[in-house]
Formats: sequence, structure tokens, C-alpha cells
Amino acid sequence: MAAPSTVGSFPSPYEIETPPGCEGWEEMYPYYGRFDEERREADEQRFWFWNSMHFPVPMPAFDAICIDTAYQALGSWQNRVFAVPPAMGIDWRCINGYIYISGNPVLDPEKVAERAGHFQKRAGYYYENWDELYGKWRTKMDALIAELGELHVPQLGEYEPDEVAFGDQETSYVAVLDAYRNALRLADVMWQHHFEFLLLGYGAYMTFAELCKANLPDIPDQHIAQMVAGLDVLLFRPDAELRRLARLAIETGVDSAFVEGRSPEEIDTGLAESEAGRSWLAELETVKDPWFHMATGDGLYHTYGSWLDDPRIPYASLIGYVAALKAGENIERPTDHIAQERDRLATEYAALLDDGARQGFEQLLALSRTVFPYVEEHKFLCDYWFLTSWWNKIREFGDLLVAHGFFEDRDDIFQLSRLEVYSAIDELLLTWATGGQPRGPKYWPPIVARRKELLARLADWTPPPAVGAVPEAVLDPALIMLWGVTTQRVHAWAREQEGGSELTGTAASPGIVEGVARVVKTVGEIGDVRDGEILVCSITSPAWAPIFSKIQATVTDIGGVMSHAAIVCREYALPAVVGTGRATSAIKTGQRIRVDGTAGTVTILE
Amino acid sequence: MSDAGHTLRLAELRRGDNALFGGKSSALGELIAAGIPVPPGFAVSTSAFRGFVEEAGLGGMIAAEMSRISLGDVDSVGAASHAISQAMRFAPVPDALRDEVARRYAELGETTGVAEPPVAVRSSALGEDSQDATFAGQQETYLWVRGADHVCDALRDCWVSLYSPPAISYRARLSDGEEPAMGVAVQLMVDAEVSGVLFTCNPVSGDPSMVAVNASWGLGLAVVGGEVTPDDYLVSKVTREVVRAHVHSKDVQYVPDAGGRGAVRADVPDARRAIACLDAGALDALVDVAGRIERYFGSHQDVEWAIARDGELPASLFIVQSRPVTAVQRPAGTPAAASAMALVMSAFGVGETKD
Repeated sequence: MAAPSTVGSFPSPYEIETPPGCEGWEEMYPYYGRFDEERREADEQRFWFWNSMHFPVPMPAFDAICIDTAYQALGSWQNRVFAVPPAMGIDWRCINGYIYISGNPVLDPEKVAERAGHFQKRAGYYYENWDELYGKWRTKMDALIAELGELHVPQLGEYEPDEVAFGDQETSYVAVLDAYRNALRLADVMWQHHFEFLLLGYGAYMTFAELCKANLPDIPDQHIAQMVAGLDVLLFRPDAELRRLARLAIETGVDSAFVEGRSPEEIDTGLAESEAGRSWLAELETVKDPWFHMATGDGLYHTYGSWLDDPRIPYASLIGYVAALKAGENIERPTDHIAQERDRLATEYAALLDDGARQGFEQLLALSRTVFPYVEEHKFLCDYWFLTSWWNKIREFGDLLVAHGFFEDRDDIFQLSRLEVYSAIDELLLTWATGGQPRGPKYWPPIVARRKELLARLADWTPPPAVGAVPEAVLDPALIMLWGVTTQRVHAWAREQEGGSELTGTAASPGIVEGVARVVKTVGEIGDVRDGEILVCSITSPAWAPIFSKIQATVTDIGGVMSHAAIVCREYALPAVVGTGRATSAIKTGQRIRVDGTAGTVTILE
Repeated sequence: MSDAGHTLRLAELRRGDNALFGGKSSALGELIAAGIPVPPGFAVSTSAFRGFVEEAGLGGMIAAEMSRISLGDVDSVGAASHAISQAMRFAPVPDALRDEVARRYAELGETTGVAEPPVAVRSSALGEDSQDATFAGQQETYLWVRGADHVCDALRDCWVSLYSPPAISYRARLSDGEEPAMGVAVQLMVDAEVSGVLFTCNPVSGDPSMVAVNASWGLGLAVVGGEVTPDDYLVSKVTREVVRAHVHSKDVQYVPDAGGRGAVRADVPDARRAIACLDAGALDALVDVAGRIERYFGSHQDVEWAIARDGELPASLFIVQSRPVTAVQRPAGTPAAASAMALVMSAFGVGETKD
């Protein structure tokens, strides 16, 4: 193939080569997720950016549900419910396993005006009734999570139970298909809920931020976030519970069990030997539901489990907290201080504004504070609690297929698309019913093996931050609000295509430090992080709390000042630069870097 | 006016004394009243200048020279300037004024315990330092002046600067026909390790929540005169965070002359050039004093400051001048009439918002 031509300063999506040995990666994804020749003319002229915020690693076939369903939901609310005037929804395409997205603009001015009418009415209704609607939303989410918990995956026995013969229980093939369809339905509903308030929440916040910047041009982004941030959002609860458990361990004299280097099992075994230890473990059990539903990553891959799945993360935290308490340190989140500071900033900035601006400032700050709990809490409820539980429910279908020889491992199910799984279950049920010979046990294992190998190889490929045309301006509110992809950012990516030792991003948490970089591409690599390193990742989640007590700064590929890395770094007073676009590809583990969280720059020093 | 005649302690001056003592001196008096650390000193009134012209009999000569110039003719302005300056330099400072200045100067010596303390002698022109205009060419400053005779010489040199070619041209353009006059401020010198200028807002963006600081090594001339690219800081008034810090290579500085009189330009030692000349503590002290000055005057101020070589912050920080910022950039702001909801709507691309 010829050297890739470029469209503007980004490569054409049609001229990106497949890494050696990765031929055929397309089979993992639906036909509509490719840059196909039929759409070349249109697609090559569009701006596509790698959604590394949500999809930092190659996409397993099953996990693509988090693209399809999420963008069905986002598009439905943005385009069909609220009718955001200039923008419809998000299209996606896949290159070498990585997901690129692009917004669909509304170009006809008459259409924009028509949509504006709908938007004002509908969004206005949401803003006016936010607390009431959000209250209802919480009820819906609780019900959805409960429904997921109750979803039962039936087993296939030699004979149907008596209830089928003598009662009116459904036959197992109907029950299994129902259960699978239901599992998929629950995911659809979760994403529907997830996006109900998302744009409006971020939109209110962004408007407040813009008003601040128009009147106080040099105000640091983190001050804006500090003024808005809530104190009692769900997201901080899991860590607060760990601190409480650490105190309890000391109070009840079982703290000697928490030794650096011990596994959770070893710690539990040690605790189980004493009465006090057993009562601590009993207290732990009450904390686990729901607070251990915290995810170990940002939740959109099946590989991101919860603290329940991988207790090493909360236990590492417990060990750290116990040690800190014994050393006489204060481990409490300084909520009083945060609350005072939040109000002090708001009062002082308001006092600096003229009367007209001050009124808008105060109204928008109040609105931003109203929407903030949703912005934070949907993460815990949707992305963490629901999704980590849901992957485990899918694993139960994996168990069923393993039991009948279709797979070797329950997680193999994630190498099939959700429709392929449907097909495999269909065949299983058909042959179970008929007593015929299933083809699945011979058919699927080689496919699973090949896809695993493909994903492993594709993981070594570095996707460009964007492909297609460089847009003159980014006008899509969703791209700006949800991904922080602004005109300025995109143009910086285009300039940086050539590389260079300085990366620019959003100054998310102030301070300047130098140190050794640790590039973490998957959640499994968290354990490699050493004291004093600088975390470089696509995106972090607050669930990574324990490593924030080890690291001295954070750099991410994507994210804005409201991203979770930013919020946690401010909590921990660590410098952070987010939204650099290419930190995980430009920086290598072991390199010395300087992070300037005040200016928003990262410099590779060696 | 006190029986002292033509001088007052800076601490005795207030805004209302502007007409008699000039803007700089009266602003320093206000700063002292506000409790801002200002090096002690005294002010010489405009009447002293008039007395000087009168006693030396220069009035007619000056009027004659001035009548010969034509606006736009650079040579005629230069010739008049030269003639008047020469005449003034040869005219004696009246004895009574000389005595009065010597007494004031001795008083400064008593406060410091140094017989001939180094002082700064600066012009304090009428209209200078006002919010509307900054007189071109009337910003004479003589640093590290020692001895009453030398103070008087510097005083006269300030007066001479009233007839510098740019000052003559400037007044000619205003053509208000008023007799020029000038006050002079005499202040104890701060042996500055670092000095510079601060604005109580960001003059570039107009952000009122920021203090902008320029700083360089040595006495203030280097920064004010634009002879170095100073270290450049932007500090939040609200949190005291340093939002921007650009450290530049500062290769020259002004230091007291080894002979004990005057300030000389010297190379900054290589090792110190690229080092930030302010640390967090110094910035904190500057932002603190900036806030007090802004609150006192009720408007954004352009402030000259110096941090003494001896002593510790904040006691080693001195303010040597404050004047209103003349050209503040206004932030873009937001449409005043827009409601919060209209602003949110426009973020979503609702073009024509209805209330």
C-alpha cells in the first residue's frame, strides 16, 4: 500500500493499515461499524475521533453493545426527545478494533429553528422540574438494578421439572431465551436511563463555566468545578466506607491483620481466627452491598469488574488507611473545608462581577449545583453498579454454554457479539430439546481463540487520535460537553500529529511535579503502579482510589475538568492534566515527565 | 501649608493635595494612610518650582523660548528645550528651599540612623498618575541619591525634565496654556533584591480576580524601563494560586554604585538569570498588599514595589508607587439581558432565545 495520504492533518480512515497478523478483525463487529467503500465519499470528509475516553482498548465483540445501545440512547434523547437544535446523534466506526465517533450535524437553518422550539419546551421542562424528575429517575434505577439481581438463568436438565408437566411453568427453552432477551433489554433500559439527564446536566454546567470564563477570563477550570461540586454524592461513599472500616479495625484491635503485601484471602483468614475479626468481617459484609459495586475501571468493558470481583483494590485501600491511622495521620475527607471553600470561592468570585453578570453567575451556579448530583451519581448507578453486575449476569449464560461444551471458559462468551450469543443459545436450546448433535462446540472455540489473539495483537497498535477531515470548528454540544472535544483541542491534535515532547490538555488540578511515568492501559495493570509514579492512562475512575494515594500526578488522554480523574485529583491535591489526546501513546512507562496541572501541559523530559 | 513652606512629609499628604504636590506624592500619602508599607519620605510642592523659576528670574526667558517653538517642528522644540534646560541647570536652588530640603532629609536620616541615607527622587507631575493621562517624558527618577546637595540637584533635574522635548510637545498638543509645574517626591531607598510592577487585575484579559506581577532582580528601573523581560506571574486573588508563571532570563539589573552614590546597570550573574525571582511567599505578600491597595482606592491600580535585600517578608516588601490602571481590557462578559436559562439554551445552539 502507498504511504497514507492525509485529509487535512489527520489520516484518511480508509488508508490505515491493518497491523500484521490482525487480518480479518472486521468479523468481530457488525457490518455497519466499518469504514466501507460505499460510504467513502461521505465518511472521508467527516471528522472522526477515537473515543478513547470510553473505549481505550480493542473492543471485544460482545462489549460492542456498549457502543450500539449507548448511542441509541444518546441519539434518542439528544435528537428525538430534546431535539438539540444543531446536532443529532453520534455515529461510530471501528478501525483495528478501536472505536471512532462522529456527530451528525443539523445543517438546515429552518430545521434548526424548528428543533429549537421543541428543545426549549422539553429541556425547559426538565430544568424546571429537575429535582422531582431526578427523584423519579433514582427510583427507576433502583428498580432496574433490583430486576437485574432477580434475573434467573435457568439450567437445562435431563427432564423438565414437574412444574412444567403438572403446573403452568414455561418450558426451559422459552425460559432461557426469555432470560437472555431480558438481560439485553435491561441493558437497553439502563442506557436509556443513563442518557436521560446527561446532556442537560453537562449543558448547565458548561454554560456556567462559560459565563465564568467570559467574565473572569483567567479563572482556573478547577475553581469552577470546586464551586459546583457536591459533597454528599454517592461516588464518595465507597471510599468513605473503607475509611470507616479502617477505623473500626483499629478500634476493635484487629488492625494487625492489615499488612502490606497480604492478599484479601489471607487477611480474611487472619481475621476469621478471632471473635473481633469475625465481627469486623460481618460489618464488611453489610458494606459490600451496595458500596463494593464500585467498578475497578470506567465500566464499559466486561473486563472492568467491581470491588466484589477484585477485592484487592479496596483491601489495598484498607491497608493504606489502617497504616495512615496508626501513623497518626488524618484520613478523613475534609468535607467541612471543602464546603467552606466551595462557598468562599462562589462568594468571592460573585463579588468581583458586575451586577448583570453576578445575577447570571448566581442563577447558573444554583442550576449547576442542582444538576451535579446526577452528573456524578449516574456513574455509580449505571456504569459501576449496574454494568459490573450485568457482565456477571452474562457470565451465567457463559456458564450454561460451557456446561454444554460450546466454550472452554465462561468469559469466552464475550468474544461473540450479542447476536452471535443469541444464535449459540438458540442452537443449544434446539439441540438440547431435540437431542441432536450441536455444532457449536466445534464451531465456536476456534472463533473464540482467534478473536482473543486478534484483541491481544490489536492492543499493541496505537490508534491516531482522529481520522478524516479536520473540522473548522466543533459545534456539536454533545462532543464538547461529554468528550471535551473542542475546536481548540482538535486543532491541537492536528498540530501534534507530528509528535513532539510537549502535550497539551486541560488543566484539571493545579500544581507542577516531575516524576516517572506509569502508563496504564488496562485495569489489570493498576497493580504495577509504584509509589511516587505519575499515572498516565486513557481515563481513570474514582474506583481507582487506592492508587491515588500512591501517585503524584495524573495525565489522561481524554476528559475535561469534570472528568473523574480531575475530580479525584483535586480531592487528593494531585496535579492533573486531562484530555491530552495522546498521552498513553506518546509517553512510555519509565520516562521522566513533568506535569503542569496549572498550565495544562505535560513535558516528556527524557 | 505648614510653616515649613514648600515641603510636607509623605504621610501628611492626601488625595486633595494633588494640585499642590502632584499625583505621585499624594498617592503615596494615601497609601501610607491606608497602612500600606511605603518607605518614608517627603514631598516638594509645585510652589517650590515656581519659587525657583521666580527667584532665578527665568520666567521671561522661558516664555520667550516657548513662544519661538512651532508645533510639529522638532528642531524648534529641541532648541527651546536645550536653552531652558541649560538655564535651569545653572540657576541655584533658593537657599530657603535648600535648607528646608536639608532639614527634611536629615529627618529621614534620623529615622534610619544613617547620616546620609540613600533616597529616590522622583517627579510628581500634576496630572501625572491620573486615571486619564500619563504625561510623556515626565517620569524622572533618580535612585540612590545621597547628601542634601545631591538631593537638591536631583530635585532640579526633575524640574528640568518638564522642558524635555517630549514634555514640551505633549503640553503644546494639549494647548491649555497653563503654566507647567511639578512636584517632587523624595523617599528612602529600598535596597531591593527584587522589584517590579503589579496590576490588581490582569491588564491583558481584564480578569479582575487576578493579580499580574512582573519582577526582576535589583532596583525597579530594569522592569519599569523595559530593559529586561521580567518574570511574569498571574496569581488568583481568590485562592492565591499561581495560575501562570513564566520565568525569563534576566540578564541586567540596577544596583547601588560601588562609590555609594547613584544606581548602575550591571550584569546579573549567570547562575541567577534563569532563576525565578519570586517564590510563593513573596507572591503571597504581593497579592495581599495588592488587595489592600485596590480596596482602598476602589479601582484597579498599577503598583511599583520592591523587596528589600535585608529583612523578611512581609516586612521587607515596600510599595513605592501606585496609580490607577489607565487602560483596562474589559472581559468579553455576557449579554447583560440574558437570563441563566437563555444562556443554557444558547449553549445547546438555540439561536433566538425567548424569555
